[in-house]
Amino acid sequence: MGLASTPTSGPAAEPAVVSAVSPNWVTTRLDFLVNWARSNSMWPMPFGTACCAIEFMATAASRYDIARFGMERMSFSPRQADVLLCAGRLPFKLAPVIRRIYDQMPQPKWVISMGACASTGGIFDNYAMVQGIDTVVPVDVYVPGCPPRPEGLLYGILLLQKKVRGETLADRSIRVEQTLDERGLRLPPERIDEISEPFGNSVHQTRSA
Amino acid sequence: MTESPAAQAGATHPSVEALREAFGDTVTRATVSCGDTIVYVDASRIRDVLAWLKDTPGQDYNYLVDITAVEYRDVERPIEVVYNLLSLERKQPLRVKAELPKDGPLEIDSVVVLWRGANWLEREVYDMFGIRFRDHPDLRRILMWETYAEGYPLRKSFPLRGRFSRSEQMRQALNANPEAHYSMEELSIAEAYHNIPADMRDRLARGERAKIPEPPSETGGE
Repeated sequence: MGLASTPTSGPAAEPAVVSAVSPNWVTTRLDFLVNWARSNSMWPMPFGTACCAIEFMATAASRYDIARFGMERMSFSPRQADVLLCAGRLPFKLAPVIRRIYDQMPQPKWVISMGACASTGGIFDNYAMVQGIDTVVPVDVYVPGCPPRPEGLLYGILLLQKKVRGETLADRSIRVEQTLDERGLRLPPERIDEISEPFGNSVHQTRSA
Repeated sequence: MTESPAAQAGATHPSVEALREAFGDTVTRATVSCGDTIVYVDASRIRDVLAWLKDTPGQDYNYLVDITAVEYRDVERPIEVVYNLLSLERKQPLRVKAELPKDGPLEIDSVVVLWRGANWLEREVYDMFGIRFRDHPDLRRILMWETYAEGYPLRKSFPLRGRFSRSEQMRQALNANPEAHYSMEELSIAEAYHNIPADMRDRLARGERAKIPEPPSETGGE
């Protein structure tokens, strides 16, 4: 609740708008209603690039059925989507594409990174692959697995719904559009290099190997 | 290379015999590997050999299955350009290889005049190995983006994670224009140019491609 300020600061104080939406009985009730609606009718934008997309299709199909959680409506237009669901590895060639799709989605929007490759680069620690899509777009939920089973993805979706239910109108910062900086990067270069460091079995490969 | 029984069997492949008769020393050697006959020919005459194999009655290797290249770990060994041929009528495959020494220019004649399908195959070999195909109509990168400046990924001297740092790779990727990948020829709208919407015409005329940097010189082995 970073922006929460008490209404006792006087009528002349500038945060009149902020105080109007600060946590009080009305806004928390409104939060509950809005978050209930949002979390139970999230429209995913499937960005399936690899085998994770197959598991995602299984999740969407009748046996696992994400319609139970209000997600049956796949939104193939980013302009009508709430959740960007990156299912699969992301090559550098697709980095500007997923970034543009994310930029085209209206607020409120969330991102699920499905599988080891989308989250970390996975086994593809090579010249062509983005080492985790969080270097391109902000990610809310990481689902581990190679690929994750439908239960795993459903658990990730439930976690995202839980996160959405915890949001509040009083915190405007979570709805601020996160744009790329003047270099065209989402994170500082040192952070990207740090995130992309090899780990696990990849550490046995040197950069020159 | 010692002549194994399999290699002698390769020498008796009818196409190899015919090639030796027609081209003599241009055919340097022939072997059999896993049941496939491999013919090594002089790289400078590759187009003549393939044209002969394609057009000579009785040979009729009319389908070019694939063009690829091999670089071996042994730095002494030359890079091989591999042509997989197939005769559709006779159901007979043949593999032709041309060797390019690493200390010379990595250049070989294009066979697009023989098979138009060789166009993208040769572009892929150029993209991954840096082998230039003389007289190719459109020798550009095909898998990596055109502004890719880190070199040729399948060369043994290429580090697995690329030459640039991850942040630099990400900067270049995110600054790329995702809609700048198609030329007018690829879109096959050159003839319809005057009928397309004015804004699209304007974009094509302006050229949305990014500037293409000079590729690093990577002709010799390291």
